[in-house]
Amino acid sequence: MSTVTLDKLTKVYPNGFQAITDLSLTLSEGEFLVLVGPSGCGKSTALRMIAGLEDISSGDLYVGDRRLNEVPPKDRDIAMVFQSYALYPQMTVAENIGFPLKLRKVAKKDRLQQVEQAAQVLELTEQLESKPSMLSGGQRQRVAMGRAIVRKPALFLMDEPLSNLDAKLRVQMRADIAAIQSDLGVTTFYVTHDQVEAMTMGERVAVIKDGILQQVAPPEELYDHPGNVFVAAFIGSPSMNLYEASLSAIDSGGYHLRLGDYQLAVSPSVMNTRPGLAQYVDQPLVVGIRPEDLEDAAVAPDHPSDQRISAKIEVREALGAETLMHFSIAAPTVDSGDPDALDELGEEDTGRCTARFSAATRARVGDHIEINVNTDHLHFFDPTTHKAIRS
Amino acid sequence: MKRTTPLSRFGLHATLAVLVVWSVLPFLWTFQTSIKFTRDVAAKKPVLWGYETTANAYRAFWLDADDVNMWSVLVYILVVAVICAALGQIGRRVRHGWPWFAAVALVIFAALWRFPKIWEANDEYDFLINSIVVTVLTMIISLSIGLLAGYGLARYTGISGAVILIIALGFRALPRTAFVLPYFFGAKEIDDWLTRTGVGSWNFPLIDFPGIDTLQILDTRLAIVLALVAVNQPFTIWMFRSFFMEVPKEIEEAAMMDGATRLQAFRKVIIPMMWPAIIATGLFTMLLAYNEYLFVRVLAPTEWTLPVAIVSLTGGESSRTITEAAAASVSITLPIVVVIILFQKHLVKGLGAGAVKG
Repeated sequence: MSTVTLDKLTKVYPNGFQAITDLSLTLSEGEFLVLVGPSGCGKSTALRMIAGLEDISSGDLYVGDRRLNEVPPKDRDIAMVFQSYALYPQMTVAENIGFPLKLRKVAKKDRLQQVEQAAQVLELTEQLESKPSMLSGGQRQRVAMGRAIVRKPALFLMDEPLSNLDAKLRVQMRADIAAIQSDLGVTTFYVTHDQVEAMTMGERVAVIKDGILQQVAPPEELYDHPGNVFVAAFIGSPSMNLYEASLSAIDSGGYHLRLGDYQLAVSPSVMNTRPGLAQYVDQPLVVGIRPEDLEDAAVAPDHPSDQRISAKIEVREALGAETLMHFSIAAPTVDSGDPDALDELGEEDTGRCTARFSAATRARVGDHIEINVNTDHLHFFDPTTHKAIRS
Repeated sequence: MKRTTPLSRFGLHATLAVLVVWSVLPFLWTFQTSIKFTRDVAAKKPVLWGYETTANAYRAFWLDADDVNMWSVLVYILVVAVICAALGQIGRRVRHGWPWFAAVALVIFAALWRFPKIWEANDEYDFLINSIVVTVLTMIISLSIGLLAGYGLARYTGISGAVILIIALGFRALPRTAFVLPYFFGAKEIDDWLTRTGVGSWNFPLIDFPGIDTLQILDTRLAIVLALVAVNQPFTIWMFRSFFMEVPKEIEEAAMMDGATRLQAFRKVIIPMMWPAIIATGLFTMLLAYNEYLFVRVLAPTEWTLPVAIVSLTGGESSRTITEAAAASVSITLPIVVVIILFQKHLVKGLGAGAVKG
C-alpha cells in the first residue's frame, strides 16, 4: 500500500517504435486507477514497464519513495494478474496461490493459513486441491487473483483480467474485483480496452491513445467533460456523435449552431459556461452530441421547436428499457482517431448518427421523424487540435 | 472429410497389413533364428515350420558357464524388478525423493554387484554395462544441454538464434560417417598429447581408479559418450525448442512477478511442465545411444557396447554363432520394447511436436 508515481515514462523499442511517450501519472494510496485505450495503444506496455517485464527507456518509476527502474520484477513487491491468468498447470490451486509465499520462504503452517484465507475471500475453498485444468474460466480467474492478493503487495497490476470471461461472468467479476480491492486497500493499476469496465471499476480513469495520455479523471467527469474528441468518442456506448459545425450569432442576441442543413438554437447559458466558445463564433468547430441527448419529438413534444432535426430511421435496436436508433444527417462526421471504431464506420458513413430514445417511441424503420436535440448538453471541440473548448 | 466406401477401407487396411508384415517380418525371422538349432539355420532350404526349438543360443550368449541355471538368473532379475517396483510405489507416496532415489540406486547396484558369478567370466556383461553407462550418460548430458539451449532459443527471437538453429539442422543433415574420422583423429591427437607430455600417466592421489594406469580418450566409454552427445545435440535442441515454444511466456513472467528469479522460474515452474517433453526426447536419445554401432566400433575398438558385440558374432564364414547373434539381438531389443510400451503416450506426443513445430 503506497503511492505510485510514473514520471515521464517512455518506451522506445529497438526497432525505433515509440510505444509510450512521457506517461506521467500518480496513484494515491489505495486508489483504483484504470488505464483504458483502444487495442495497440501501448497500455499493456505501460503495465509491463511498471511490472519490470519491459525495460523503461526513459523516465522514472517510484513506488513510495523507492525508485524501481532497475529493480528486477521479483524485488518490486508488485503482484500482477495476467490476461491469460498464467496459472501453473502442474500445481494445485493451493500450490498456485501459495507459490509466492513459498518463494518468500514463509513457513509451511503460515503459508497454508494464508492460502486458506485468500481462498475464502475468493470462494475457492472447495477447489483448493484441484488442478487449474479442472476449473472453469471464472475460477481460474479467481486463482490468478488469489496468487496476487495472498502476499499483500504494494501494488496490484491487472492486465485485462476479465477479457477471457463470458459477458455475464464478467459483470459479476467486475463487482467482485472492485469489492476485494477496496477491502484490501491495495493500490491497483488496471488495464483494459473495455470502456464500460473502466467506467464502472475505476476511481479514476486514464485514457491513452498511441502511447500518449489523453485525460485522467473520475469516470463521471470523463463522461461529462471529455478533454478532447478522442476521449469524447471513446468513452460512452454508443459513442458520441461528432460533426463539423459552426456557430453564428443571431439578431435576437442568441446563437445558432449550423449543423449541415439544420439550425439549432443554442441557449445563452451554454455560451456563459464555456467562455472560450466566443472566439469560435463564425468559425468551424467540432460539435459532439451524446446519443441520450437526442429524443423522439413525438415522445417529448414540449421541447423547443428550434432545437430539432429531422431524419429517416435506418436501423432500430430495441433494448427494452431504451431504443437505439440509427439514421443519417447531412453533416460531415469527424474521425475521432479510435482505430477500433474506424473499422465499423467505413468510408461511406458520413453523417451517421446514433440516438438513444426512450422505449416509449413508436418510430419504425423508414419513418421520417422529428428529433429533439438537447443543446444544453452539447460538447464543443477545436477542429484542428481536437481539444475541448471550455474556458 | 470424404465418406469412406467399403472398397477404400479395404484398400487402407490391406496397405497397413502389408506395412506391418514388412516391418515385423525381419524381427520375427531373427526371433525364429534365435530359437533354432544351427543345423536348421544352416539348411539350404529355410526350415520355416516344424523345427525343434532350443534356448541354447540365449544360454550361449548370456551364460558361458554351464553350471549356471538360466532359470535362477531369470528369477533373480524378477526379484530385483519387484523390489524396484515396490520402491517406485513407495516413492510415489512419499513424493520428495532423494532418499528414495538413493535406495533404488543402492538396490540396483547391489543387484548388479551380487549378480551370479558369470559376471567375471562373461564378456557380454562388460558390454551390457558399457551399453548402460553410455546410454545413461548420453541421455543425461544431452538432455541437460538440450533443455537449456532449447529454452534459450525458444525465448530469444533474434537473428543469431535462427542462425544457430539452422546450423544445428545442417549438422543433423550431414551423414554420420562424415564425423567418425574427425572424431577419431581428434581423440588420437589428444591421446598423443597426453602421452607426449606425460599428463596421461600422472598419479592423481584421490582418483586412482583401479585398473586405469594412463589417462586416455580413445577406446573409452567417454569417447563414445562425447561423440554421441555431439551428434544427438541438434535433435534434442530442436525437440525442446518446439516444446518450449508451446509454453506461454506469461507463465514464467507470472513466476517472476511472484518473486522468482529467472532460474527459479525455469526450475520450479517451467521444468515441471516439461516432463512429457523430457521423457519423449530422453527416449529418442536412449534409442540412439543404445543402438549405436559405427561410433563405438571406430572410437572404442575394445570397449564395445552390445550392438558391436552382436555384429562380431555374425562375422566370419561360420554360421555357428549366427543363432547366438540372433538371440542377443532379441534380448537387447526386449528392454527397449518394454520402455516404449510404458512411455508410448509420451513418445507419440514427442513425434507429434516434432512434426508440427519442428
